[in-house]
Amino acid sequence: MIQLYGVSKKYGPFRDALLDISFQVAAGEFIFLTGPSGAGKSTLLRLLFLEEAPTEGQILVNGRNIGVLPHSQIPHLRRTMGVVFQDFRLIARKTVFENISFVQNVLGLARAEQKRRAYHVLKRVGLHHQMNAHPDELSGGEQQRVAIARAIVNEPTLLLADEPTGNLDPVLAEEIMRLFVEINIRGTTVVVATHDLEMIRRMGKRTLTLERGRLHDPDRMRAESAPIVREAPFLPLS
Amino acid sequence: MVRPRYIFAEAWSIARSSPRQTLAAITLVALALYVPGLLALLARNLGRLAASDAGDPPAVTVTLLPDADRRALAERVAKDPRVRLVRIVGSEAALDRFRRAYPDLGAALAELREAPFPPSLEISLRASAPRGTAQEIAGATRLWPGVESVEATEEFSRRFRDAVGLVRNAGLFIGAVLTAAAVLSVASAVRLALDLHRDEVGIMRLMGATEGAIRAPFWLYATVEGLIGGSIALGLLYGTYRLALWWLTRDPHPVLSVFWVGFLGLPAALLLPAFGAAAGLTGSLLSLGGGKSRRLTRIA
Repeated sequence: MIQLYGVSKKYGPFRDALLDISFQVAAGEFIFLTGPSGAGKSTLLRLLFLEEAPTEGQILVNGRNIGVLPHSQIPHLRRTMGVVFQDFRLIARKTVFENISFVQNVLGLARAEQKRRAYHVLKRVGLHHQMNAHPDELSGGEQQRVAIARAIVNEPTLLLADEPTGNLDPVLAEEIMRLFVEINIRGTTVVVATHDLEMIRRMGKRTLTLERGRLHDPDRMRAESAPIVREAPFLPLS
Repeated sequence: MVRPRYIFAEAWSIARSSPRQTLAAITLVALALYVPGLLALLARNLGRLAASDAGDPPAVTVTLLPDADRRALAERVAKDPRVRLVRIVGSEAALDRFRRAYPDLGAALAELREAPFPPSLEISLRASAPRGTAQEIAGATRLWPGVESVEATEEFSRRFRDAVGLVRNAGLFIGAVLTAAAVLSVASAVRLALDLHRDEVGIMRLMGATEGAIRAPFWLYATVEGLIGGSIALGLLYGTYRLALWWLTRDPHPVLSVFWVGFLGLPAALLLPAFGAAAGLTGSLLSLGGGKSRRLTRIA
């Protein structure tokens, strides 16, 4: 589903956000992306949904090199993805329903069907009673759940979530994670960026760790940190 | 394929989110089209005057003696290939013309027992007639029996036509300048609306909205803005026309009352909203770029 080969992202000549990242995520897999703040988790997600372009390397999503994707094809690729942004990115002047049904509305899906789908996903995140509310009438946690509902309403093949439980209490966070697992069981590949190590431990899923823009590979790290034993060259005295 | 209802709803939402800018742009379009519209109306009426009895002053006016054979003299003049039209104006017709031009004098004229104006021949020349033809014909007819006096007015006629042409050209020039200003004002309004929706546009794009879905509401918004501006200009122009007509009916003017008689024809009138809509669309294209332009993509 996702393949990265030697991907780097630089902001200006001196700031490396990501350095030589390579990994693969199989279709239907659920992975966590973790690391301290500023490690490059959000940057990596932004590269995956084409909000930014890598400075070096190649990214394949669904077998397509997204770096060479024609501009006109980008919206179509994005519609196969669901994205939960760290800052929610809800449209303030639209209601919860309109935020969730935006793409369906653009594509001309019947309003009744839009409502049915929106109600269904909002019920899954426990906000079906807030369909006509505006984002500024909701708490941070509720806005987060609306963002999640929007991400999953089109049943994407790939779900990218950037700190999706950052604004939620532990009980709700657990429920949202359960929802992600449920979506994953239905076949959606899920990539969740979080620094909640306790949750990662409880979920027991594959985890990629970023540190200062580099992918932390435990095996490679072990090899690099092992004592170097070299035989001294034998130099004959004469 | 983007749903039309979505485009209309978004365009309305854009207009509502920046009412002041929308109003300013509509006002500018209306004013920009009203001024050239007014000049077009003036040119049209002056042009009508130029083509009418009053407005197409004859190149030569031959005043006849009361007992002259008007028809014979007219036919004699008409034989000249440079002559386009010979109009016989009887004493009654001359009096009637005077009454229409000076209605205030109606009471005094009513007391007249006989027509005070002598009969005359009004000679109009072909456009191809060389300069000096009027003087030449005047010189010849002056010697004919039954002719009292002859006056060549060719120069006035030419100057009048030149003046009408000048008004028309000024209208076109001012119209072009003001239309360009209208286009730029719509472009500014669209740019402002876009700035207000910058975050949304970025979100829409990340959600998978196509460039067409993002731009189409802005195109529609600007086009309707221009259309409304053009329609207002048309309404203002018609209001001006009716007001002037009412004023001239109430207080007739010897010159204005004669030529201020008609509004723009339907096709010409509909050009104003059409120009407005075209100016709006052009403004939005200037501001956003076309479907394949990446100008808008910088904000994502």
